[in-house]
Amino acid sequence: MGKSWKTVGFALLTMMLLLQVACGNSNNGGEQTGNKAADSGQTADAGKKVKLKFWDFHSEKEEEFFRGLVEEYNKTQDNVVIEYSTFNQTDYTTTKLPTGFASGEGPDIYMISPGDFMKFSKSGLMADLSSYFPEGAKEDFLPASLDAVTVDGKILALPYELELLGLYYNEQMLKDAGVEVPKTWDELYAASKKLTTDKVSGLILPPDKGPYFNFIWYPFLWQQGGDVLNDEGTASTFNTPETAKALDFWGRFFKEGISPTKLQQGPWEIDHIGKKTAAMQIVGTWAINRAEEVFGDVPINVAPLPIPEGGKAATDAGGWKFAVNGKSKHVDEAAKFIMWAFAGDPERALEWCTEIKFAYSPRKSVVEKGNEVYNKGMRKVFTEQIYDSAIPEPRYPSEVLDVVGDAMQYVMFGKTDGAGAAQQVDGKINEAIQAANK
Amino acid sequence: MKLNNRILLPSIAVLLGLVMIFPIYLLVISSLRSETNVFDFNLLPTGFEFSNFTEAWIGSGLPRSIANSFIVSATVTAVAMIFHAMSGYALARFRFPGKAIMFAWMLSTLMVPFAVIMIPLYLITKNLGLANSYAGLIIPSIFNAYGIFLFRQFYMDFPKELEEAGYMEGLSLSGAFFRLALPLSVPIMVPLTIGFFLTNWNAYMWPLIITQDEKLWVVQQRLAHLVGGGYFTPWNVVLAAAVIVAVPTFILFFVAQKYLVEGIKMSGIK
Amino acid sequence: MTPKRISDRTRNEWVTAYAFLLPNTLGLLTFVFIPIVYAFYVSLHDWNALSPKVFSGFANYKELLRDQLWWNSVLKTLLFTVIYVPSLYVLSLGSALLLNALKGRLVGPVRTMFLMPFAITSIISAIIGMYMLDPRNGVINHLLGFAGIGPQQFLGSTSQAMLSIIGVILWINIGYNMIIFLSAIKEIPRDYYEAAQIDGATGWKAFRWITFPLLAETSTFILIVTMIGSFQAFDQIVVMTKGGPANATEVSVLYIFKQGFELLNMGYASALAFVLFLIIFCLSIIQLKLLSLRK
Repeated sequence: MGKSWKTVGFALLTMMLLLQVACGNSNNGGEQTGNKAADSGQTADAGKKVKLKFWDFHSEKEEEFFRGLVEEYNKTQDNVVIEYSTFNQTDYTTTKLPTGFASGEGPDIYMISPGDFMKFSKSGLMADLSSYFPEGAKEDFLPASLDAVTVDGKILALPYELELLGLYYNEQMLKDAGVEVPKTWDELYAASKKLTTDKVSGLILPPDKGPYFNFIWYPFLWQQGGDVLNDEGTASTFNTPETAKALDFWGRFFKEGISPTKLQQGPWEIDHIGKKTAAMQIVGTWAINRAEEVFGDVPINVAPLPIPEGGKAATDAGGWKFAVNGKSKHVDEAAKFIMWAFAGDPERALEWCTEIKFAYSPRKSVVEKGNEVYNKGMRKVFTEQIYDSAIPEPRYPSEVLDVVGDAMQYVMFGKTDGAGAAQQVDGKINEAIQAANK
Repeated sequence: MKLNNRILLPSIAVLLGLVMIFPIYLLVISSLRSETNVFDFNLLPTGFEFSNFTEAWIGSGLPRSIANSFIVSATVTAVAMIFHAMSGYALARFRFPGKAIMFAWMLSTLMVPFAVIMIPLYLITKNLGLANSYAGLIIPSIFNAYGIFLFRQFYMDFPKELEEAGYMEGLSLSGAFFRLALPLSVPIMVPLTIGFFLTNWNAYMWPLIITQDEKLWVVQQRLAHLVGGGYFTPWNVVLAAAVIVAVPTFILFFVAQKYLVEGIKMSGIK
Repeated sequence: MTPKRISDRTRNEWVTAYAFLLPNTLGLLTFVFIPIVYAFYVSLHDWNALSPKVFSGFANYKELLRDQLWWNSVLKTLLFTVIYVPSLYVLSLGSALLLNALKGRLVGPVRTMFLMPFAITSIISAIIGMYMLDPRNGVINHLLGFAGIGPQQFLGSTSQAMLSIIGVILWINIGYNMIIFLSAIKEIPRDYYEAAQIDGATGWKAFRWITFPLLAETSTFILIVTMIGSFQAFDQIVVMTKGGPANATEVSVLYIFKQGFELLNMGYASALAFVLFLIIFCLSIIQLKLLSLRK
């Protein structure tokens, strides 16, 4: 009898031990969140430094840049320590941010895409940054870039890059095939069809659903004057001939095997042209540096996106934005950091937009300062021929993004034609809008 | 018929065996190719770019995540062995009220897909203060009815006489377990250890949800980050990283294949 | 009324048994059982995980009844199960029979070759799959080219993506199940076959009338485990197709994951999860009944 109670004791003891070991570990591994009480208790030792979590999704060179930025900033601060973590881009948007925020362990500083904008702003996860801009800085930003992040007069994010889309192509391949750089939809279709061989894809477009998928497609809709929602963002304008035409045009490339439905590498990578597995590709400004640095021996050039008969030039201006968690206890400190990074000294913004990657800065002073860079090689094409037709990427609720992506896929995989898809999805967009505005 | 058995059958078997290991072979030889050649069609090794491995090892945080996976897998396995052996033994040996219900209930937890509980599991783990820590990676992974079930199977076939003799010597019920049965459980423990270790080495979804700090990443997360992250995915480096991650499990596989096979056999009996 | 008659030994046994079961019971309660109950609780709410929960009764359940994408995902899950489970069964049983027929030195190496993919993790298998099944440069298409078959889209095709994923998952799991079958076959007494041989039953007949019936228990076990596993396939799908193209591989687990973490409909996702749980639970009960009948 007594001995068996020993066993109970043993079991309980093991459990307790286990928990203690576990908690001990959490102090080592998860310092930042592991033990809040201990943190505040150790004021004498660690000073009264405020810890800020900064989450990002960049990798490689870009990750280095942000790490460097954080280190530099931390050195100048006595009261603030920023801790930087970066994630796989898909994980970042699909699991990290939602689980983090949902459990109250989200970051103080994070990067936000237009696809998440509505969701997070409505939940109070984006602090009003209006009052943190250094003097005169707001005027330095392109009005459209700030409009895109403004809700009810509050600036909820800091844009730090504008990425424009263009049609990249391999000059030699086009020449060999006797093809002119396409300027219209018909020319684009004919050229890419002609350039397609069993080794080379005529045109690379993104095949997988997601924000990037929609991002590349919108210009085809806008060029004809179409749009997903009305100007107020309250109702769908999706069920139109323009949508049907844009969907059918898009779908044709996949159905006829001109654009692969599965890619070895992200559709956003210039490597398709660089490795000569594709003749043309719709990609953004970010591809330029890699095209020059890694594929310097491949004759890559860029042109504005082709437009349909009677259409007008349009391209997408994307780019991530800095946001501060509105539920953070340290909004002030966090906002100061992002302003320091991208709204203050133009040098950092310039380094990001011209050295680390190529993008347009939303700040006029930065673009002026980088004038030389913005007129170099392919960049000149963007600056002179594409920049003016840019429309900021819309910030739709994620449900809307999702169903628009469905419509594109229905057509790509031959489930229905453009008109059918537009009609099918129209009602769902309205439902999603109503749910989101509830 | 004789010919069939002597030549045809072995040939088919070897051929199919080669088909099974071909992807692994391809992974290894391709991981040694340069970035531009990585997709070349050639069934023989065509390059020896060991720099792929240094690149995968140095720039990527792979060493840290490998260490994390080791810590997590080893701890989960060690603790699970003790707990599961205890439960399995109780269910096999002892008679007590509610035994059948208990067993059925434990087994029923096997049928709960992770997706069903992933959201609440995250919240509960977080409320226990375990989010974003090794504890959060480890503790929820320990409890698994599969181990209990296999230990139970093992102890059902375990000769009772030994413990009976132990009782005669004055050992308590738990004493007989810890001193006699447990030390003789190596035949089940070794294969189960391997199985648990492999399972936890394989874990992806739970670590993804429960860890925020990059320092806590496990190895599969790191691999998925390489293949799906960022703007640029060099396939040669991804493949090299995959090879590195496969090495520990392959060592385990070759060193302890006998026990692995034993374990699999046990899992299938009855 | 027998409490008095409970001997020390019996009581001792009870206490020890409960103590031995305590850690696992607590663990399973906390990390499996309570989450299910909690999932049900959450499913009765409209909750985006960021703002407070709003009680909404069974609204989520009503909504899922008319959610085409959900039922599409259930169909995809069943499709996966219907293809994967029998394929795995046939292939692993076939491999086991083949290996059983082998004699001599080859047995060990061949068994090793079949089992080796088991040591590959799911993420690595997905990476290898993507690499080999690449439509333009992948090895598989090159090999098909030799057979005069044109390049296939595999993961980029709505009709082939699911099959491709199933292929990858089969590849790493055949060895495991083969070993189980093999050991069960070895346990069948030799004289059964000798007796049958006298009656002229060899080859197929011996398999049909001796081996197969005697493998009934093992078969049931493998079918149950495989079936439950097939409802949970996730890692490879996430890495290889993320449910695409055009939702062709969007199984229920993935759809729940997306509803929960991409669209942040935690309440709705919990309702879906709970329904999936009920489906699996019912199937499992039926299977367990079958298993106990055989015993």
